[in-house]
Amino acid sequence: MTETIAMGQAARPTSGLAALAGREVRRYLRNPVFLAGVVFTALAVKSWHPGRVQEIGTISAYPAIFLGGSGLIAAFWLTQSTRRSAEALDVTPTTPQARTAAICAVAIVPFALGWLSFGIFVRIQPLDGVWRYGAFSSSDRMAVLVSQIVVPTLGGPLLGIALARWVRFPGTAIVAFLFLYGWVSLISILAWAHSNSLPFVMLRFFAPFTFFTLTDGPHNVDTWRGSPWFFVGWQLGLCAVAVTVALLRGADGRRQRRLVQVLIAAAAVTVLMYALTVTGGWNHPVMSHLGQAPVPIGHSPHPTNR
Amino acid sequence: MAAVLLRAVPWPAVSGITAVAVVTGAGGFAWPGGAQILFPIAFALLAGAAAFVLDEPASAVVDVTPTGRARRTAVRALALLVPLGAGTALVLAGALRAVKLPWPAVGLALAGSVLLGFAIACVARRYSGEPGTQASAAAAFVLIIPGFLPFVAQWVRPFPVTGPHPGGPSSTTFWSIAGCVCLAAIAASVPELRRRRSP
Repeated sequence: MTETIAMGQAARPTSGLAALAGREVRRYLRNPVFLAGVVFTALAVKSWHPGRVQEIGTISAYPAIFLGGSGLIAAFWLTQSTRRSAEALDVTPTTPQARTAAICAVAIVPFALGWLSFGIFVRIQPLDGVWRYGAFSSSDRMAVLVSQIVVPTLGGPLLGIALARWVRFPGTAIVAFLFLYGWVSLISILAWAHSNSLPFVMLRFFAPFTFFTLTDGPHNVDTWRGSPWFFVGWQLGLCAVAVTVALLRGADGRRQRRLVQVLIAAAAVTVLMYALTVTGGWNHPVMSHLGQAPVPIGHSPHPTNR
Repeated sequence: MAAVLLRAVPWPAVSGITAVAVVTGAGGFAWPGGAQILFPIAFALLAGAAAFVLDEPASAVVDVTPTGRARRTAVRALALLVPLGAGTALVLAGALRAVKLPWPAVGLALAGSVLLGFAIACVARRYSGEPGTQASAAAAFVLIIPGFLPFVAQWVRPFPVTGPHPGGPSSTTFWSIAGCVCLAAIAASVPELRRRRSP
């Protein structure tokens, strides 16, 4: 009997979390903002055609904007909606951390759709043998696509949950979405204008999304500085920080101390990844021309529009 | 009565988002090259601010009071002066600083953006007491996302372009049509006006 009770006690939290997560996922799937993001992504993916793309950065960003952006807003909305019933929820046998973890589980849905978009993209635009990816190896090309298509679909919802846990301002989600969109757009333009300057390289990577290549005239692709794989590490580090920050809300005592330790460790790894991203990869921007070896920008025999 | 109704407007959300929009738009003056990016974002934020004007946490009580939906909507629409006024200040400042944009068309885009946010909120208010978050997201999507989808960007142009015209209807044409649709949506979302039209 003791064994039965012990087994029941051990099983209850897991099954409770799974049930909560299932419920949150169902609520998330019915969210009109998220559904709109899925429709826009489907329309964008439908417009991908092999051979028309001169440089992958022009089209790979769609899932990040549509799934990541709508995921951020929908997750914020979902998390804030539990605030209204906070008094009732507080007397249930689940901890705030279990409820937050259950909401974090909804990020699996856009993440899975991100992988699906990645699969379709790679099928249309194979990783090997074309100059459209710039001067990256096959492995780095995969990292570029994972960082641009897949990881933002995970990070967007997690950021929305962390913001909703700590910020009461109702317009936070829309401000965060438009701020990130504006920030990435601005630093991309600055990076284009100063592609060999270390401060601007640092600025370009200080974002949850970045471009690694740029079309610079017909059949030319610029490859910018920085390591794609370490950038994926930086993005995943940001995701870990977002989850830990979300879980910290309502934590007390020993659990809070543990979460603070995890947050410090995650932040340290994220900073390390950022430093490795900036220092890794090509140490100067290069230009690829169809059928020729990459040359440093500024020494190219081909005319550019710069 | 109007003062009481206006007191219920979620001013922190409306003025907070408007303030962020002003800072964003002002960034376009600090760096004129970024005006073409920052102004559309500022307008999307102003549309988001307009979308929060109808939020009513106590909607279950307020919706059954004798003050009709039309009157409440009309009074709360006065709060649109905040995003509209801030946007007008941005447009005037941009025109005075000679930032290269077609300012009359930008002014129309500003009015259209604010009207769009409010119209979406009016429609969503029929189904929810606090439509702000959803309506602001929808408005931002309508204003920002067409730029990413070439087949949509050809027809939906929420912000005027500088340089050679890429074809398709201009921003002014788009907002002339979209403005009429928004006004019709607002009228259709108010029960009293619907009843008056169909006796």
